[in-house]
Amino acid sequence: MSTRADAWPAGGTKLEWTLRVVASNRDESGRESPLAGLDDRQLVEACLGGRIEAFDLLVERHQRAVYQLCFRYVHRHEDAADLAQEVFLRAYRGLRRFRGDSALGTWLYRIGVNVCLNHVSARRAPETSLDEAPQIPAAGDDPASSLARAERGARVRAAVARLPRKQRATLVLRVYQDLSHAEIASVLGTTVGAVKANVFHALGNLKKLLAEEATGKS
Amino acid sequence: MTHLSPAQAVDVAAGSAAPALIAHAASCEPCRAKVESLLEAVRLAAEDPPPAPSPLFWPHLAARIGEAVRREQAPAPSRRPWLWRLVPAGSLAALVLAAGVGFRLWSGTPGTLPGILDAPAPAPVEVPAEESLAAGDASADPSWLLVSDLSSQVSIDDAEESGALPLPGGVEQALVQLDEIERMELARLLRAEMAALAPAAPQGPGA
Repeated sequence: MSTRADAWPAGGTKLEWTLRVVASNRDESGRESPLAGLDDRQLVEACLGGRIEAFDLLVERHQRAVYQLCFRYVHRHEDAADLAQEVFLRAYRGLRRFRGDSALGTWLYRIGVNVCLNHVSARRAPETSLDEAPQIPAAGDDPASSLARAERGARVRAAVARLPRKQRATLVLRVYQDLSHAEIASVLGTTVGAVKANVFHALGNLKKLLAEEATGKS
Repeated sequence: MTHLSPAQAVDVAAGSAAPALIAHAASCEPCRAKVESLLEAVRLAAEDPPPAPSPLFWPHLAARIGEAVRREQAPAPSRRPWLWRLVPAGSLAALVLAAGVGFRLWSGTPGTLPGILDAPAPAPVEVPAEESLAAGDASADPSWLLVSDLSSQVSIDDAEESGALPLPGGVEQALVQLDEIERMELARLLRAEMAALAPAAPQGPGA
């Protein structure tokens, strides 16, 4: 049995939170914008002070994490992009309410989970189906194994979508977004103990749902 | 030692548990099975890979969000709410109404002037004695005082933002440039027009 620290999560889904300096971080002469050296809280202050380009940097820093969270709920590229935009718009509107007692990323996750839950609640339809077209295999992949992998992914997706809301959110944040239990507790407004219990039950239910699906299919 | 709680099992699976718990999980068959089940579920969950959009997608998404945020901050004039388009017409209507009502209050008699549409075009307009220039200063007319009072509560910036400022060459611009004599005449004409447009008394059975 493996109990090493790197045993969790399997699959290397750690998100990249590092700042990527892109073209828009540079001024007209090509020099790096002075804003690029600011941390998230300083950027929030700059934005509140009227420098809207500071918010652009916050978007560039966090858009991957927000998009990937949204994708875990809708599994469609365009829908995930729409939801990610909605998350940032809500963050912008409520920027004055960001107190800074948690990381901006945690705050964005909190908004993101709410936006996603509202979205899937409004749709009332299953977000995923095993009949959905699998992802295009990467070049050089064996088509048969790619298809099998895509089918396994779709089965997992459908099972995760059937979890209770809180368990689903907890599992997504823990396994796919690689947040710590304390960070998840902050995002979901609960205790670390409750997060761990939700992780335990979410994983147990996921296994159960996948087993039921496999039994029903065979 | 008792068996691992769910939270402890999660800690052991994550490798963040105390050494005593890890040692227990290694020696206790039910607890070991519990932890292994969690790890297997994590492996299964990881079979759904993260989305991998094109590298070109990220600048596109950032630009899209940036545009949306800027629309929030400064809505384009062409996107102003339709209600604001009614402000100039509304202000003119208020001016007309205030002039008519104010003049009637000031004169103290119900309006009896003929409708302006009924009057022959070249005919000179009859001015009652109480409405003549000799009757008083037009600047003391309650209708103009009312308009002046209301307009003082609106800043120039707000008026400009709403599109309510008179346009050069427009009707509103002509109104604000009237002198006292012209204002008096306009008030009289408006009053006559309002009387002409007033609905006739109901007639017929049940009226």
